[in-house]
Formats: sequence, structure tokens, C-alpha cells
Amino acid sequence: MERTVLHVQQIVKDFDSVRAVDGISLEAHRGEILGFLGPNGAGKTTTIRIILGILTPDSGDVSIQIGDLPRRYAKERTGYLPEERGLYPDARVVDALVYLAELKGLGRAEARQRVLNWLGRFDLTPWANRKIEKLSKGMQQKVQFIASVTHKPDLLVLDEPFSGLDPIHQDLLKEVIRELRDEGAAILLSAHQMSQVEELCDRIFLIHRGRRVLYGTLDEIKAEDGEHVARIRFDGPPDAVRTLPGTLDVAVDVDRASMRLARGVSPDAFVRSLPSEICVREISVTRPPLHDIFVRTVAGRGDANR
Amino acid sequence: MRIGRTTRWEITRALRSKQYLVMTLLIPALAAAGIVAATAGEARAALREPPPPYLIGVILAMILFIGAFMSGVMVLYSVVKEKQNRVVEIILSSVSATEMMVGKVLGQGAAGLLQVSFWVACAYAIASRFAPVSLAELELVHWVTYPLYFTLGYLFIASLYAAVGAAMKDIQSGGASGLVGLVPYAPILFAQIIITQPESLLVRLAGFFPPFVPSVMMFRIGAVPLVSNGLRQVPAWEIALSFASLLLGVVAMMRFAARIFETGLLMYGKSPSVRELWRWGLRRRR
Repeated sequence: MERTVLHVQQIVKDFDSVRAVDGISLEAHRGEILGFLGPNGAGKTTTIRIILGILTPDSGDVSIQIGDLPRRYAKERTGYLPEERGLYPDARVVDALVYLAELKGLGRAEARQRVLNWLGRFDLTPWANRKIEKLSKGMQQKVQFIASVTHKPDLLVLDEPFSGLDPIHQDLLKEVIRELRDEGAAILLSAHQMSQVEELCDRIFLIHRGRRVLYGTLDEIKAEDGEHVARIRFDGPPDAVRTLPGTLDVAVDVDRASMRLARGVSPDAFVRSLPSEICVREISVTRPPLHDIFVRTVAGRGDANR
Repeated sequence: MRIGRTTRWEITRALRSKQYLVMTLLIPALAAAGIVAATAGEARAALREPPPPYLIGVILAMILFIGAFMSGVMVLYSVVKEKQNRVVEIILSSVSATEMMVGKVLGQGAAGLLQVSFWVACAYAIASRFAPVSLAELELVHWVTYPLYFTLGYLFIASLYAAVGAAMKDIQSGGASGLVGLVPYAPILFAQIIITQPESLLVRLAGFFPPFVPSVMMFRIGAVPLVSNGLRQVPAWEIALSFASLLLGVVAMMRFAARIFETGLLMYGKSPSVRELWRWGLRRRR
């Protein structure tokens, strides 16, 4: 079976005079989680809607390839957890979930069986026959997640799946997401918590003002960003670390210091350059967290390209 | 196949909804109460007089039109509700906007058919207690045209209302699109003229204008025998022409409505103007 499930080529979408999506291209592969990131209003939701066939692009092309499944059945093989949650409030949990699974092409009996299994896994069995409006926010959230996976989609789009969940259920959800990945689904994960993205995602896609500004594996992106962050605890004169060659933004606080390494300065070179008059007690040299890369990339671009 | 599933779901939801139950029972109850109240006092004697022959067609037309209209309103209501509670986004990731709309229109229509059949049965039961009602007064033309006008009229109104509902921000803000929705209802304001002068030129012309066809033509077909004491009926060519016009109207309206539905469903914020609706409806599909 093809490794790449989703091909998006140069899609453009205008709303009246505003260009929401401006020539986006990306791929999603089986067995990987692609972090789909962007600040609010960057065109994320519009892009997701186009990928899922909810909106049609003004130009460009989206193709979902699953074996030789005809294009018109593509919607049956995708799953979607929208950021704006909402289900039939007056319907029973089971009924709504079975219906949504049936729309994805499952037979009624099988849909029911799978829904009950999932409800069990998320501790919702006692609520199966309640009306959805009687459930708490977190429970509704879990119900909506179930709706996106009962048919075992080949392409799963999760928009802010963790919001509103307690830490225990966040962990459960992470486990389930990894499981679906291992079973061969291609997953697009959008989240504002960068630590969760770093934890789960293999590759990152960052959209800003309708354009792709970062795209690659987490390692590549961090390598490209180049600058390492060093933190040390030491005994010795603080002034000794203030003016080390190849360091920027040095901050010293009695016996601790943190600094960025200039582009091209390797951790090895940095460690060797440390002066002999200080005694190092703790040291870490790491790639910058995704959070910092996100903020710097988005802020750095500002309004310049408008 | 997917339309079958959405339709079945919509039927179940319609039949289970409170509004449906209330409307189905309330309207015959009100009618019965009205008749009981009217026959209590002096009016009793007047009502004891046998009703004019051929009235049954007009009454049937009234019930059918109210039924089609009410079911259309239910489509509007259900679309606005689903737009507001954001379930549309998930549905649209499984079916197309057109499939969703057609499922809604058909599902609500099936529930509406059941409702209107119940009303007709109630009306017959109530009326036959007070006066001799003869089904023999109904001719072949009624049996053939009424179900068709009801069905096509419902399809026209319901797809229009699906579009209006998709364009609305919430149920309170009717705005421009709310007014558009009242167009097919307009002939009811002139019901008296249509019933007393069903053969006048203006009424005959109104019977060819698609949004007016179902109401005007059902009233005319009921009223012409009434005013002519059963001697005349609406000419067959006029009925044929009205059907041709309505059929074209339904096809055009469903296509137009599907596009507005598609555009409007995911738009939140202000309700669009009539001009914007028009532009959405004519937008080409890629």
C-alpha cells in the first residue's frame, strides 16, 4: 500500500478579498504524526477543511490515496475532530456515534460493536444511553474523539484533541493516538501546546498568514534553527562566563548562567571553550524547544510579508 | 446510500422531536376546540345547515398547504440548530452539503407526510360529526393533483428554507433571508380572493408562478367546483402548465439552495443580505 496517503498541492483559497490559504503544499504518510501548527487566524482550519473536502480550494489539488479506492469514497476513510466541538445534544451517545460511523460506510451492527468498545475504553459505558447534553465537557470531548476513529480512518485530523481533558485522559488519548499511528494511520495533529507536539509528532508543518513557513522533521527544523541553548551551574567568578566567544544573550545569576550559541558554534566547541577558572557543576546544551522556534518564526515574520 | 442513511436519521429525529409531536397534536385539537366553541351558541343553528357542496376540496387544500409549510419550517429550524451547535462540520467531513440537505428535506418530508395524513384523518373525523361529508365530492383530479402539489410544493419550500436556515446566524435573526422565506406563503394572505374568484385572470396567472403554484392551484382546484356548483373544473392544460412550471421551479430551487447551503453552513457572523445570497446561489461549482 502507498506510503503517502495525502498529497496537497499548491492550494489557494480566498474569502471575499482575503487570501486565507496561499499556495500550501504538504504530504502526510502512513505511520506518522504530522504536527500541524500555526497561530490563530493563520489559515489552519481552512486548510484542514479543504483537506477533508468540506471546502473546495479556488485552485490547487488535494488527493487522498488509499489503495485504489475511488476518489468519491475518500471521505469514508478520513476522520476529523474539529476544534469547534459539537454533536447532536438531544441524541443518545450511542445513537449519534453509530450514525456517524454509518456515514463512514460501516454496517449498523459493526458500527454498534465498535462504538461500544471505544466507549468502554474511555470509561463511558455507563453513559452510552444518556443524552449527549447530559455529559460533562470532558466526556463530550471523548465522545467526539470516538466519532473520529470508529471507522479506523487512514487519514485522521485532530484539532486540539487535548483541550478540556484531565491529565489522565490526556495520557490515554496520547496512547490511543500512538496506537492508531502504529496501525498505519496518517495523523495530522494540531495543538497549541508545543510540548505535546514535540512528544508526539515526527514532522512539523507551520502555517503563518496562509503560507507554509516551516516543514520538515522535528530534527531538521531544530538543526536548521541552528542555535543551541546552554545552561551551566558553576563555581567561580561570574564575569568569566559573560564574554565567552560565540555566545549570545548571556544571562548570569550568581552561580547559574544561560546563553544561546551563535549559529555554527557546536556544543563540542562551546564546552571546550569554557575557561579553566570556573568549575562546572551542571551543564546542558540542547536544541531550542519547539515553543521558542514557533514564537521566533511567527514573530520574526510579523507584518513584513504583507 | 449515504442519502438513505441521512434520510433515515432525519426521520427518526423528526419523529422524536417535541415540536413535531406538539404540532401534530395541537393543530387538530385547536381546530376541534374552535368548532366546539362555535357550535355552542347561536352559531349552532347556522352550522347545522349543511355546508355548501364541494367545500371539502378547499379545506383539504388548506390542510395540505399548512402541512407542507410547517414541515418546511421544521427543516429551517433543524438546519439553524445544527449550524449553531456545530455538528455540521463533522457531518460535512462525511457527506457533501448537497447530500446533507437532501437527506434533511426527504427525512422531514416523510415525517411531514405522516403528520398531514393524521391531520386529514382528524379533519374527516371531526367534520363528519357535524355535517354530512361526502368523499364522493372529491374527483379524480383531486386525488391525482393534491398529493403531487403537496410533494412538489414541500420540496420547493423545504429546499428554500434549508438555504435560508444555512444563511441565518441564529433563529432570532431572520433578516433579509427570513423575508425571502415568506414568498411562498404570500398567497395565503389572498386566500379569500383565490377561493371566491378562482377563475379571475390574476389568480389564474398567479397559478403559474412556481412559488405560488402549490397554494394557488390547490385552492383553485378546490374552489372552482365550489363556485360553479360542481359544473366546472380548472382546465387540464392549466394544471399541466402549472406542474411544468413547478417542476422547473423545484429543480432550479434545489440547485440554487444547495449552493447557498454549502456556502452558508460554515459561515458564522453576520447574516448575509439578499444580494449576497443571490451571489452564493449562482456561484459556479468547481
